[in-house]
Amino acid sequence: MNKLVKTQDVTYEYVRRDDDGNVENIVTAVDDVSISIEDGQMVAIIGHNGSGKSTLAKHLNALLTPTEGTVWVDGIDTSDESRVWDIRQKAGMVLQNPDNQIVGQVVEEDVGFGCENLGIKTEEIWERVVDALKSVDMYEYRGSSPNKLSGGQKQRVSIAGIIAMKPKCIILDEPTAMLDPKGRKEVIDAITRLNKEENVTIILITHNMEEIIGVDRIFVMDKGKLVMEGTPREVFSEVDKLTELGLTVPEATLIGKKLYDSGLPISLPVLTKEELVSEIGRARLSKFR
Amino acid sequence: MLRDITLGQYYNTKSVIHDLDPRTKILGTMVYMVSLFAFNSFWTYLIAFAALCTVIVLSKVPVRFMLRGMKAIFLFLTITVLYNLFLTQGDTIFSFWIFNVTIQGLKQAILMFFRLTFLVVGTSILTLTTTPSNLTDGLESLMHPLKWIRIPVAEIAMMMSIALRFIPVLTEETDKIMRAQKARGADFDNKNLFKRIKSYVPILVPLFISAFRRANDLATAMEARAYRGGDGRTKMKPLKYKAGDWIAYTSMLLYGITALAITVLINFQTFMLKA
Repeated sequence: MNKLVKTQDVTYEYVRRDDDGNVENIVTAVDDVSISIEDGQMVAIIGHNGSGKSTLAKHLNALLTPTEGTVWVDGIDTSDESRVWDIRQKAGMVLQNPDNQIVGQVVEEDVGFGCENLGIKTEEIWERVVDALKSVDMYEYRGSSPNKLSGGQKQRVSIAGIIAMKPKCIILDEPTAMLDPKGRKEVIDAITRLNKEENVTIILITHNMEEIIGVDRIFVMDKGKLVMEGTPREVFSEVDKLTELGLTVPEATLIGKKLYDSGLPISLPVLTKEELVSEIGRARLSKFR
Repeated sequence: MLRDITLGQYYNTKSVIHDLDPRTKILGTMVYMVSLFAFNSFWTYLIAFAALCTVIVLSKVPVRFMLRGMKAIFLFLTITVLYNLFLTQGDTIFSFWIFNVTIQGLKQAILMFFRLTFLVVGTSILTLTTTPSNLTDGLESLMHPLKWIRIPVAEIAMMMSIALRFIPVLTEETDKIMRAQKARGADFDNKNLFKRIKSYVPILVPLFISAFRRANDLATAMEARAYRGGDGRTKMKPLKYKAGDWIAYTSMLLYGITALAITVLINFQTFMLKA
């Protein structure tokens, strides 16, 4: 498998200047981060507020270019200004607030917006829009006004707008943060399906740990640095470290860990409710034997 | 296609007028407006009235919607009519106190009344039968030649359509802020006008801040979706003339020619009579 997205020693500094243009202070939002994401993977970047995860995400489709280091998207260096539009086509981005990223006055028009920007022919735009809307299960809403949709539906429209551009990877910057539980499930189901069925690489930035149990790889960020990296099983086995970083763990993992600490011999980490139930059952059996 | 746009005064129904290309409708409205000013004899106004009635019937929009616009100009209309009726010099019919009502004045007043009424009803047909986004597309296409003098037509049209998209969002936001401020004891119903205006400051400030934040987010989202201005963009819904549009253009032409012919004929007649 080839590396679709790769960052090498990326550092990004926000420079604040006073009225005379003198540097007041420098905030290092991303500090020497090297990650690589393989084609077709679904990965998550987690970290508490201000950990630099959103800033890092903006590097992955050339909205920001690194102060130091290099980012490659599908082999293209993002600091190459002549290729910026290629990169944005290959790596689509969905933002947090569903209201602020819908441009069109009708759902289908919004989904077609990115294609129009790429200069695709009218007939093909329509084909792509129909396919994209179907893939997120929003086809029947194609003629309605975005203002009448729920938050989850709006986010799915935003995702469809990206899919219509036929990207290799989609970066989602806290797409569920402003949604209710039902909306969250809709969005997560939609992106999981895209990853499994259409083989689109997904980079999910989130706070919500329950959403990332099923991903291939997790990157944990703190104060701009990459502090942990691994499969969900590897990352969630270090409950204490995550808590120290100000992050929670999935409920089942936490309960499993507490049971283990109080003497129940279950194998850690536990990721899902079902796993927890079967582990407890097994542990009790072995105790009585 | 179902389009539930609550904005503007668009009246959602299916009709031949609704199906027309927005460019046809905009040009038609302009032709009609010009004709009302250029030709002002009894016969041309009769034709203008007949044309208006035909379009109203074809548009399937209830007449009361058309007359809604009249409410806004009622005061203006009354003043104009009275002004013309009482203050035009000419052959007096009757007079009272300081006013003279003349034949010329009466004619002028009637003409003004019908001219303004036709203008308002005629233009409201355009907005009643065209969705805001269609109207924007039409304007963009008609203003296209202005690109030669470096007016960013496509970008202006994009701005208009984004503004239309965000009006309901910002309205909702205003409502929310208003409720939040009320919950903290803000008083929006004060009888004192000055105090009432002042009480709107705590609404406008957060509204502006949030509007800027939204604009910033939207700009990021648009850039992320490869928006780089109007150049090189294709259209998902390009405007296309259909058979109906050619019929409409022909009718417009016929209307213009008839009105012109009548005017010429009348002028010729008066000229001959004088000679």
